[in-house]
Amino acid sequence: MIPWLRRQLDNFIGSGDAALAVPPMDGSLKPNRMLDSCDLALEVPAPDDLCLAGDRLVVSSGSDLHDVALADGAPRSQLRSRYESGIAAIAARGASLAVALSNGSIVIEGGPFGGRTYGLPLDGRPPCLTAIAFLDDDRLLVCVGSARYPLEEWQSDLLTRGNSGSVWKLDLGTGEAGRLADGLGFPYGIARTADGQGVLVSESWKHRLLRLRPGSSAAPEVVLDDLPAYPARLHGDGADGFWLALFAPRNQLVEFVIREREYRDRMMAALPRDQWIAPTVRSRGSFLEPLQGGGVRQMGMLKPWAPTRSYGLVIRLDGALVPRLSMHSRADGKRHGTTSCVPLDGRLVVASKGAGELLFCNVGSR
Amino acid sequence: MTDAPILELRNVSKEYHGEPAVRDVDFALAAKEIHSLLGENGAGKSTLTKMIAGVVQPSKGEILLDGQPISFASPAEALKRGIAMVFQETSLVPSLTVAQNIYLGEEKLYNRLRGLYIAAQQFLQSLNFPVDPTADVSSLGAAQKQMVEIARAVHHKARIIIFDEPTATLTPEEKSYFFALVERLRRDGVSIIFISHALEEALAISDRITVLRDGQKILTEAASNLDRDKIITSMVGRTLSNELYKRDGKRVPRPYGRKVLSVQNLSMGKMVRNTSFSIYAGQITGIFGLIGSGRTETAKIIAGVLKRNLFYGGEISKEGERIRFRIPRQAMKKGIVYVTEDRKLEGFFETMTIAENIQVHGLAKSPPEEVIVHRSRFRKLADEWRKRLNIRAIGSNARINELSGGNQQKVVIAKGLVQTPDIVILDEPTRGVDVGAIAEIHQLIGSLADQGLAVILISSYLPEILNTSDRILVCRQGRIVEEFDADAVTEEMIMYAAVH
Repeated sequence: MIPWLRRQLDNFIGSGDAALAVPPMDGSLKPNRMLDSCDLALEVPAPDDLCLAGDRLVVSSGSDLHDVALADGAPRSQLRSRYESGIAAIAARGASLAVALSNGSIVIEGGPFGGRTYGLPLDGRPPCLTAIAFLDDDRLLVCVGSARYPLEEWQSDLLTRGNSGSVWKLDLGTGEAGRLADGLGFPYGIARTADGQGVLVSESWKHRLLRLRPGSSAAPEVVLDDLPAYPARLHGDGADGFWLALFAPRNQLVEFVIREREYRDRMMAALPRDQWIAPTVRSRGSFLEPLQGGGVRQMGMLKPWAPTRSYGLVIRLDGALVPRLSMHSRADGKRHGTTSCVPLDGRLVVASKGAGELLFCNVGSR
Repeated sequence: MTDAPILELRNVSKEYHGEPAVRDVDFALAAKEIHSLLGENGAGKSTLTKMIAGVVQPSKGEILLDGQPISFASPAEALKRGIAMVFQETSLVPSLTVAQNIYLGEEKLYNRLRGLYIAAQQFLQSLNFPVDPTADVSSLGAAQKQMVEIARAVHHKARIIIFDEPTATLTPEEKSYFFALVERLRRDGVSIIFISHALEEALAISDRITVLRDGQKILTEAASNLDRDKIITSMVGRTLSNELYKRDGKRVPRPYGRKVLSVQNLSMGKMVRNTSFSIYAGQITGIFGLIGSGRTETAKIIAGVLKRNLFYGGEISKEGERIRFRIPRQAMKKGIVYVTEDRKLEGFFETMTIAENIQVHGLAKSPPEEVIVHRSRFRKLADEWRKRLNIRAIGSNARINELSGGNQQKVVIAKGLVQTPDIVILDEPTRGVDVGAIAEIHQLIGSLADQGLAVILISSYLPEILNTSDRILVCRQGRIVEEFDADAVTEEMIMYAAVH
């Protein structure tokens, strides 16, 4: 009763969850153009997830898996495999490569479980696998973004305040799956902590990182919150820190639309999806598109601080999960929709889904 | 300037509780002269000028006006003889309007407010002061209060005007108005005694400069024969030169700690407009802005002194927890302390002792376990803080109004720190404080950040912001408009952001 009253009061005076407040990008998250100045490694249609399998970089793009060879000179891409369904996430450990598909199945390529296919007991709900990571040789961690919408409809889940996401542990030997956490707002990234004791999960719609302890029944612990953008995949930085990719910015207008239920429902029912007031991974450059660059144009120039629904942001977190470095692509940049990044030989490889580019960023000294 | 002094002090001394504040000082002011009095806090400048203005009486020596010995029983008597003093902290009546303050003491039996406002409006316009004569003084900012104070002195047709730190609260533009006004007063035959800690200002506008140290006169020289180094050496008895604000080599700002405070889309009327910023532990975040830019109001909202808009006033969270305070005590309990820019009005109880002031503030965080607290407990706590902050006073039982500006400021800071906060907001902590005490306060601020506290330093003095802060936020028209790293910014960049 009290929380319900609190929500009503918040809605009335515009405080709490209804405050329409968005944290600023300042401090170590101060905007820059670093992503736009990174080297273009490869043009790949909508690159989504990345992982390292041996000395090869593996990139998922639609229903294709590409190997990127880095041995000498310019990086070269080679089609590794093609699936009937879209690829939602990938993860590698030793000779094993796990591929999560948008139809809900998880396929293992190579290693002791190579060729086997797994599924989660989702009780007929739409499959929405978003991220996977190996916990050890035999177990896989799986993020399910939503129990209400498939992956392609992630904007619907955000606008309806989705909190039906879950994290699962899948035993590759027996095929048994157990739920580690549920009631999450679109878990979109997962990685083991450096001490091996815990698991970090990025909870997109709540703009935060959670720590789970797979071996215990302890509730998830919030370890970093108040992020100014929606977090996606995260990977270890080789030491005790992490690289976190964030795929779209938060803004007050979207927060407002999420809050205004009637308006939101009518918008979702009446307009094509790409004309919704919602975050996106890329600008279409159409005049029909709402608020991409808004009215903040002067002499035909799009200002970097213009309101935007898409953005590129990658953050380096130290061992204490304090942001230390950030790389941005702002409103006037194009390397938006950064969904994944992995460190490689002192460089950072970033997948910009919005630009359809794989980037090499020099971060060795940072 | 003519050579014959219109005011002369011969061998003047003043003691408080047996402690000399001024010792055997000779001082002369010529007609149409601008004479600067310089010295560290506690050097005796304010006491000397208070004797001239009739606020206190000398213990020894004599004061001559036009060659005749005088003794004023009150400032009103001194004003009748043409001596006015514009105090460091304004002495206006906050509940009266600007016009009423200017004409205070000259009221007739029947006063027509409309006529008073028209006269005040014309008078203020003639001084080029953009102040509304019908506004309550309590609603004015520090700079505007200063203008009213100056206007009042000018209105009383004073022959000698003593300005005690007149420019401390003024913006660069306002300062240039002020100096033009001083020149005009001089041309009209007024002699001026100018007390300032801004040495460049004193050098630029003075005919002569007198330096005091520990209550004694060290030198009186024509300003043209002096430079900053010479003055500082005389003031402190050591060569500080430009050490205070010297930027040699590359500064290494402290790294970002964890985010301890997040201000999101904060709004309060027209003063604070949808402003957002973050504050990090173990760092000094400097906030620069011109007067009226909303920086103080923003800080006061965080500390529970002011309230944000009830509807859509934005969010403040401290370490992930949303906060909204009705009174400052709630903020103190949460570890947020605001050290005010107006120490006289909001900083302390001036007739209470150092010990009582510190103890009273300590009560805000946690009430004492006993019903009766012995005074020796107060004193012990105060002695600790006196030692830690090097507060120079006769003892912890000294009353605040007996301390110099710098030592008063240290007491205000001690009052904040006694509550063991984790976020400290210091609003103009070195305003009206001498060079020596400024260095000590800066050192203290640095040590707070080194201990892991999040420090917010609000200042209108660019060299202070540049040399003390690890990161700099610029406030303009009620919102933070720019952020700089301290190692990659110049005064020009900050000022450009503050005005454009």
